[in-house]
Amino acid sequence: MQLLSGDARRAVFAPLDDGALRSEAVVRRVGSAIALGLLGDGEQLPTETDLATMLNVSTVTLREALAELRKLGLVETRRGRGGGSFVRAREDVLAGLAEARLAELGTADLRELGDVHGAVAATAARLAAARASRTEIARLRDIVDRLAEADSVTGQRRAEGRFYVELAACAQSVRLTMQEMDLHLELGQLPWPPAHAPELLGVIVAGHRAVVDAVEARDPAGARARAEQHIETRTLWSIELRLRLPGADAAADRPREVS
Amino acid sequence: MTPAPAAEAPRVAAAVAEVVERVFGTVGTVRAEALRPGAREGFLTRGPVLADDVRELLRESDQLAVGLGLVVAPRPERGLPLRLEWWQVDPDGGRLRSLEPDLKPTSLGYYDYTAAEWFDVPRRTGRRHVVGPYVDVHGTGRYLLTLTEPVVVDGEFAGVAGADVPVRSFEAHLLRVLGRLPAPFVLVDEEGRIVLSTAARWLVGGLLPAGAAAAGPVVEVPGTPWRVVPADGGSVLTA
Repeated sequence: MQLLSGDARRAVFAPLDDGALRSEAVVRRVGSAIALGLLGDGEQLPTETDLATMLNVSTVTLREALAELRKLGLVETRRGRGGGSFVRAREDVLAGLAEARLAELGTADLRELGDVHGAVAATAARLAAARASRTEIARLRDIVDRLAEADSVTGQRRAEGRFYVELAACAQSVRLTMQEMDLHLELGQLPWPPAHAPELLGVIVAGHRAVVDAVEARDPAGARARAEQHIETRTLWSIELRLRLPGADAAADRPREVS
Repeated sequence: MTPAPAAEAPRVAAAVAEVVERVFGTVGTVRAEALRPGAREGFLTRGPVLADDVRELLRESDQLAVGLGLVVAPRPERGLPLRLEWWQVDPDGGRLRSLEPDLKPTSLGYYDYTAAEWFDVPRRTGRRHVVGPYVDVHGTGRYLLTLTEPVVVDGEFAGVAGADVPVRSFEAHLLRVLGRLPAPFVLVDEEGRIVLSTAARWLVGGLLPAGAAAAGPVVEVPGTPWRVVPADGGSVLTA
């Protein structure tokens, strides 16, 4: 089975341990994995039993989640020989899912997420400036270039996730790297700002380049400040996108759209 | 009389070289297995090259490696894709399992090993190589040293045989072998990255600034890209 592989993929199928186990958590996890390109279009999911074991959910919960994913059009189940559940990467569905997730969160939740991401990424940036090798710095630069050139939302998100994960690896820290991977599965559930305002991609690319420049200049304080500043900007974007949702004022009382 | 600090560097270098040779011994065994007459055909087909029992090398009692195997050079012109035959010891169970990284180019976790130093350097130079310490993001998720050597079939580069050693085991082993040292030292690679340090102020994974720390003549570690730098500085346990 092609699943127990790199840590990024391992994180997708790590047990869900946030309290009572809901099928919507599974839907969100799988949705964000598709949005981040961890699960590719056409990729086969593990069997129901294996998937339930990995995520630590009951098979009943898992079946509910798969039914929902099928309804959304993100999973297709084929019967018979060579059958199974297969991923369908549909950007329209993922965007809808991201908006629904955003509607579930309050602005304080978004600030919290930004606070943690800022702490992890800014520390990674500071340490990378002191520890990254020239090869590693060149790789970071290459990832930012790919982000600038990516022409799909999935491609952009993938490159951005990779940037933060590699930055943490440049810091020589397994723990920061794992934190980044987990954070990206969470951030991958939210809307991608350039999908709403394409010119923001330029701001993201410039923000990352500024960090790489400081890392290359061996300027730990500068790398830290730039990473922190960029993530603060991003947090404000998410909060504004949240506030702009139709009926934002009543959202907290509305029934959830994703279940 | 305790030996002078400067006289210790050659002893440290020799101990490091010995550990490295030991791991390359394992790598050599993997390479020889890959080149057996019944095995090497696998390079030209999609079939396996290594026999299943090669993984048992990981169970040898004094084995420092937690992962080993063969990484095959892709040959798109013959329809042969990226391919690994790599086994590793499960960090929390001691079970052996095969590593199946993400070889899909479109994914966040995509593991394009042809660009990785441990693959690229042996391919370019035809010589063995030691990489690390580094966070193996897309492979095993560990903090590792990776030792590789090229495998050549009929004059053509066919891949690398290699082994992964956790930085922690490498350090523990050397600290045990070296015993209490009269003076601290720092082991660095060609870029100055610290591989091992017995001075608390120089951290593993950090970069040693050029000219810093040297409290005596630097000693090259034979057969590796590393050198031993006698470190200056006293204890950090002072007010």
